Amino acid sequence: MSTFPSSADEIAARLRAVVVTALRPGWPGRVLYALASVPIAALSLALYLALFGSVVAVIYGVGLLLVPLVLATIRGFAGFDRELARTLLAVDIPAGERVRHLPRFMAKVRRLLASAATWRAVGWLGARVLLGAATLATLFFGSVGFAALGWGADWNALTALPLLALMGAVVVVVLIVLDLIVRLAAAVAPRLLGTAPEQAIAALQQSTRRLADRNKLARDLHDTIGHALTASLLQATAARRTLTPPDDRPLQPDFARQALQHIETNTRTALAELDRVLTVLRAYESGAEDGGRDPAPFAAPSLDDLEDLLSGLRDGGLPVALVVDGDVDDVPAGVQELAYRVVQEGTTNVLRHAGCPLTVAQVVRSGDTLVVRVCNERASQLDSRPGPGGGRGLAGLRERAAAAGGTLSAEPSPSGGFELCVTLPLSGAA
Amino acid sequence: MTLRLVLVDDDVLVRSGLRVILESEPDLTVVGDAGTGREALDVAARTDPDVVLMDVRMPDMDGIAATAELVARDPQRPRVLVLTTFEDDDYLFRALQAGASGFALKRADPDELVDAIRIVARGSSLVLPDITRRLIAAHTPSRARGPAALPVLTGREADILRLVAGGLSNAEIATELYLSRETVKTHVSSVLLKLRARDRTQAVIAAYESGFMTA
Repeated sequence: MSTFPSSADEIAARLRAVVVTALRPGWPGRVLYALASVPIAALSLALYLALFGSVVAVIYGVGLLLVPLVLATIRGFAGFDRELARTLLAVDIPAGERVRHLPRFMAKVRRLLASAATWRAVGWLGARVLLGAATLATLFFGSVGFAALGWGADWNALTALPLLALMGAVVVVVLIVLDLIVRLAAAVAPRLLGTAPEQAIAALQQSTRRLADRNKLARDLHDTIGHALTASLLQATAARRTLTPPDDRPLQPDFARQALQHIETNTRTALAELDRVLTVLRAYESGAEDGGRDPAPFAAPSLDDLEDLLSGLRDGGLPVALVVDGDVDDVPAGVQELAYRVVQEGTTNVLRHAGCPLTVAQVVRSGDTLVVRVCNERASQLDSRPGPGGGRGLAGLRERAAAAGGTLSAEPSPSGGFELCVTLPLSGAA
Repeated sequence: MTLRLVLVDDDVLVRSGLRVILESEPDLTVVGDAGTGREALDVAARTDPDVVLMDVRMPDMDGIAATAELVARDPQRPRVLVLTTFEDDDYLFRALQAGASGFALKRADPDELVDAIRIVARGSSLVLPDITRRLIAAHTPSRARGPAALPVLTGREADILRLVAGGLSNAEIATELYLSRETVKTHVSSVLLKLRARDRTQAVIAAYESGFMTA
């Protein structure tokens, strides 16, 4: 049960409260919005009629062109109205997809007709008409009441005060109703003008995927280019020290020569990796611009990228051949990437430790097993520094191979070269 | 006195480069190197180094786990200086928390790196005091228990802890408080003892974790 105000003081207090809420910050914007809603309702009505007319015109064929045109106008109008609600009502309405940015004309038309946003914009027009009508009615009856009291009533010393109070009450009621209408508009607008829930979810999933892709890319950059540059920097610093030794220490030109070769190798593979990452990134960006929907995810390197990798190494002077046996098209992406890394690591190690001997990279699929092998002939130049187990990546590769249920072996081959061999199971692998 | 070092990094090129750079200093000698965290534990046990230069990300036990294990074995020796490619806040803080005495960037100027090693060995100041302090302050949720959570420090010791946490070296603290360096050293030792901190870095972490220092 609601309590009724009992004294004049309480009535005054409630009125004050009402006026204060109606006049909460931003009221000029809301008043403007309420006033604008009358002409906008008229415009909405006109657009409705145009839509109706163009649907009728489909019978005569002309409408086939007219309907999309009117729908596009409605979408544009909804966009304008969204902007209006944002500025005047300070409601946050996320913009949905932009048909305008789609590449081809037919794609635009198809998306326009299929998109839920279009039909929700049409629904918003209906809400606009109703809201405008309500505003107009409120203003009309308000002014009629105000005028009737002002000019129709019998004004004398006794009635003046109550009449003034009544006129004030009419103004207050009009304000309250207008405020309610504007609040209604502010509540409905985000639903009809904003992003549809399924659209919002899709966008969220897409941005999550992009973030994951981006993190993966950052990790890749860190692991490959970051490490290569760090190692090169330290080798360069060390080489300089060995060529300008302090005090009584001897020159070590051998170390310096070898360091330079490592720097050369590292830089070359880092550039190849940079090339790959940039290619992926560019493809990704152009995919993202293509209507902003489902750009191709950052492609992890796959078996298809091996030829590019090896041709980069051939340019660098390593005679290397690629042999692919069996059907590798349906090898899972995770296994393909691992296989790519095996070849990358194997060939990099050849360059690091053996110079430029004849090298073969082999990918063989037989049944449920994928075997990746990198072997080289007798080294053209031996690495004189003792180092356990080659490059930094070998231990990491062994771990990754084990995690995928596979095995890794790396050992000198009978012919005096070196062989890196990784066997990966295909069943049950992600 | 020559400082004995062990280099831990999964890239042989980083190790061989560092070895040449560090061995060209008269007071440093590299007594061993390792490519994984687990290997590092063996090498450290065998060679008894003063300072271990530790990479963070490695296969087969990363640098953070290896640091924690080294500290658990013997809180005094060796000290650990973490080497990092990038300033990844999260990794670095976890390494400090695991007991590393400081960190240095692999791309640092060789002289800076050598300085950091000497500082870690001597314990007379923080390595990269500003960054270290900011890192600790940013990552430690202040439990706001106030100084009461710290063991009772004398007024003088509290002053000293505040300056240590502010990144000042013993020499700077001596100037600040008009004390002799020897006195400052004694005070710092007793603060570390009371906090059960193995070095200044750990004392700073304790100061922030207890709410004695606030971000």
